[in-house]
Amino acid sequence: MDACDRCGILTRMQPDGTVRIEVERSILQSADEAAAAIRALLSGRKIYALNLISSPGSGKTTLIEALLARFDGKGGVAVVEGDIETEIDAERIRKHGVQVRQINTHSACHIQPFRLLSVLREMDLSETRLLLVENVGNLVCPAEVSLGEDSRVVLLSVTEGDEKPLKYPLVFKTSDLLVITKTDLLPYVTFDVDRVRRAARAANPSVEIFEVSATTGAGMPALLDRIEALRAAKTA
Amino acid sequence: MHELGVAGGILDVALSEAARHASKKVTSIRLRVGVLRAIEPENLSFLFGHLARGTPAEGALLEIVEEPIRVDCPACGVSEARAFTFECPRCNGSGVSVTGGDSLSILSLDVDV
Repeated sequence: MDACDRCGILTRMQPDGTVRIEVERSILQSADEAAAAIRALLSGRKIYALNLISSPGSGKTTLIEALLARFDGKGGVAVVEGDIETEIDAERIRKHGVQVRQINTHSACHIQPFRLLSVLREMDLSETRLLLVENVGNLVCPAEVSLGEDSRVVLLSVTEGDEKPLKYPLVFKTSDLLVITKTDLLPYVTFDVDRVRRAARAANPSVEIFEVSATTGAGMPALLDRIEALRAAKTA
Repeated sequence: MHELGVAGGILDVALSEAARHASKKVTSIRLRVGVLRAIEPENLSFLFGHLARGTPAEGALLEIVEEPIRVDCPACGVSEARAFTFECPRCNGSGVSVTGGDSLSILSLDVDV
């Protein structure tokens, strides 16, 4: 290994006359830099941020609505909705009287951190203590990119099947909270909650797992309490 | 198609390194890709080739070094798996944790100078 006489970087001449440059850099470096900028923006303002990831229809928007009901009047909540097209989710959230922005990714399958960063810079976050980012419904690509969030939440509804952590391990490995949703439907579907728990723990031993039904309200208080505690720890 | 963002990231790094070394041609790029990333090498090469058209990285070969999934088993220690599992690939014990296999990095690139 020789150091380049111009820049000092480690290089090596190959037999074919090309020069090998050793870089060892993350492929997602520019995305990681945008995520770091988001993290700094949120830390400076003491805002606690959640990145909500799931398949389409698992209950991300419903969880946001439950959080809005819980945090109503307890300090500002801001919401960023990510969808490939339409403002449907933003309009649904706007009815609750909170600040909401919609990111339409068009062909892209997840929110890119630089898009989120520019949206956050346009928002008035002076009163915000909790930021809820709803990613595009997809278990693959959103897992690959950090949005600078404090906690990543993956939702899995019981109608999707209990093999999801085995099929989409990265999202379960990188999530801090796993929320198993629609548990009121467990009598009607084949879904082994313990199998999901074991697989999720293998992917991430420190994952916190919640079982909820927004329809009956079962399990929701424990989840909302935990998110409130996490927010309080960040914003204290 | 999630390889598109990865291909764009590789191209960004390759072009900035090529410019830093005043190189007009990148001939190959070595990557370390963890199995957990679910990257299809053919998709990645196709998309990279498309994005790199007309740049110094046009025609560069992507060499992918696959990183296996690293599994820690409380009973028998560390081993490697080719697919995600929550049972130890060696002793079939439970309680294992997956501790590696999500790398996504550029190791080196070969350039003409």
